[in-house]
Amino acid sequence: MEPELAVGLPAVGSVCAAFLRARPRAALLAAGVFGLLGVAAVILTSPGATSDQLGLGLSLSPESRALLIASGAAMALTVVLAPLAVERATLLTWGLAGLAGMAAIAAAGSLELVILVVLVLAVLQAAAGSSRSLATRLRGPVLAAALLSLAAVCARAEGPQYLQRFAAVALVAGLSAALGTLPYMHDFDPDERTSTSPIPWIAFIGPVLALAVLARARELIPSEGGVLGAMMIGLGLLNMVWGCVASWRTENGAAAWHYSFIADWGLVLCGLGLAIADGQSAAILLLYGIVLSRLPLYLWSRQSLREKRPNDRPINLLAAAMLAGAAPFAGFAARVLLLRGATQLYWPLALAIGLALLLWLPPSLRLGRSLGLPRGRQAWGVGIALAINVVIGLYPQPFLALAGL
Amino acid sequence: MSAAAAFIVWLGAALLVLSEGRRALALGMALITVGFAVLALAGVGALAASAILVGGGFAAGRRFRSGPDAWGVMPSGSTARVVLAAAVGLPALWISTSVMTGPGAPLRFAALSVLGLMTARVLTPSEPPAVLTALAALALSVAAAAGVAGTSPGPAVYVLAAIAAVGISLIPVRELDGA
Repeated sequence: MEPELAVGLPAVGSVCAAFLRARPRAALLAAGVFGLLGVAAVILTSPGATSDQLGLGLSLSPESRALLIASGAAMALTVVLAPLAVERATLLTWGLAGLAGMAAIAAAGSLELVILVVLVLAVLQAAAGSSRSLATRLRGPVLAAALLSLAAVCARAEGPQYLQRFAAVALVAGLSAALGTLPYMHDFDPDERTSTSPIPWIAFIGPVLALAVLARARELIPSEGGVLGAMMIGLGLLNMVWGCVASWRTENGAAAWHYSFIADWGLVLCGLGLAIADGQSAAILLLYGIVLSRLPLYLWSRQSLREKRPNDRPINLLAAAMLAGAAPFAGFAARVLLLRGATQLYWPLALAIGLALLLWLPPSLRLGRSLGLPRGRQAWGVGIALAINVVIGLYPQPFLALAGL
Repeated sequence: MSAAAAFIVWLGAALLVLSEGRRALALGMALITVGFAVLALAGVGALAASAILVGGGFAAGRRFRSGPDAWGVMPSGSTARVVLAAAVGLPALWISTSVMTGPGAPLRFAALSVLGLMTARVLTPSEPPAVLTALAALALSVAAAAGVAGTSPGPAVYVLAAIAAVGISLIPVRELDGA
């Protein structure tokens, strides 16, 4: 199966759903069929095989393919078990547009293609309208596009060695701007719809985008891997501490969730920056957790957050444990791998990460409570998200093998 | 020829930064398009240049047909923008000719100028027509930046950038600014 289908089928599904929005059932059916075919195309695509039918040299890496499958599963879960107040056809329209963009980013053969897709996705999202101004909505992705382009120019131009280091700085800064992590946090409006907010960038598109940018970075600046890794670890530690403390102390519940994504990305950046097998495995497990568990839980917490009815039932405590990375959830396995990798590289780093991990507990308890008392579809959704996370935590190897690790 | 084309690109980008009216925005986009097309013709080939011309030309045409019906060049309070146009152009010239070595300095200057100026345009408070025009120009500059490499990137990136520029221009500007 060719990667072009993995891009094209979800895109067609999204367009169909947009055209049929006056007839929500038909829209849901058409988008659902194309979405399933798109995910099937991703599953059937051979990782690493290059397709040059469009002259673009499209190829899916095993890591990107694994995260695309996880994203498809997360989208199916959130659409099927969407709260009653949410229009599922609209959710599917935006989800499939994002999935098509992610497949294009994952399959892109050059950094320029990745940047162009990021620009198009940013404009599509901004065109949907929001309470934030157009310039504010576009700020993060456009800055990312400019920084990544600058990195490509610096890496490819002939000149002194420090140009390569500038390229490394611009790549990390561009990635941070695209994701919305420190120091380029996207402006977040707690009352905004999720599809037009910065959440899709940090929780849905971000994982695949980060892997794609780093894969291109290894080709562009092979001699500056150490510099790239050191910057990512530094930014990772900063995001961990800032994200956890802000998630704990901020007054608004939705903003607390936004900061919690930033904290998790701190761990992911550290894992990717370690550039050893344990670090990569930890990062992939954390990304699975963001896409398959944290994002769906955030979506199901929105109604409870609006109604301001937190709860302290066992399900809330379980969700808090999952968000905190307690055993037997996936976050625990990821944290163990991360600490082991950091110890191999430089033990004081493991100590710093270990201390930062303690900060996860207070915000996770708060976020778990913010789910309220899940009922009906929402209860099923929370249960399934927790179960998936436990399975990944107890049996991480098949999921890592899917990502080629 | 390439040096003149690069200067035209910078001039177009500066005009986009300094203007608010649809005529000036369209002219700025057209200058960027022509400059990049000449550079792409020299570096990659006719297909890449044609793609840039079509995509950029469409974006310029769309902008000429919508937005405030005026030139609006350097409205009051534009001093900072004038400084910005020079402040981006001069370092871009220095980096592309002195810091970076090898052939292709005009292309490097053009790409860096547009990247810097268009990003500044989007990041500063601007009306939706100006933002969308800057984004279309940014898409073209991303493709142009691919040509900085010693080996040709091939026309596909230029075609995709042109498609992106067309798509961005087709977004209706009304009701875009939610604040």
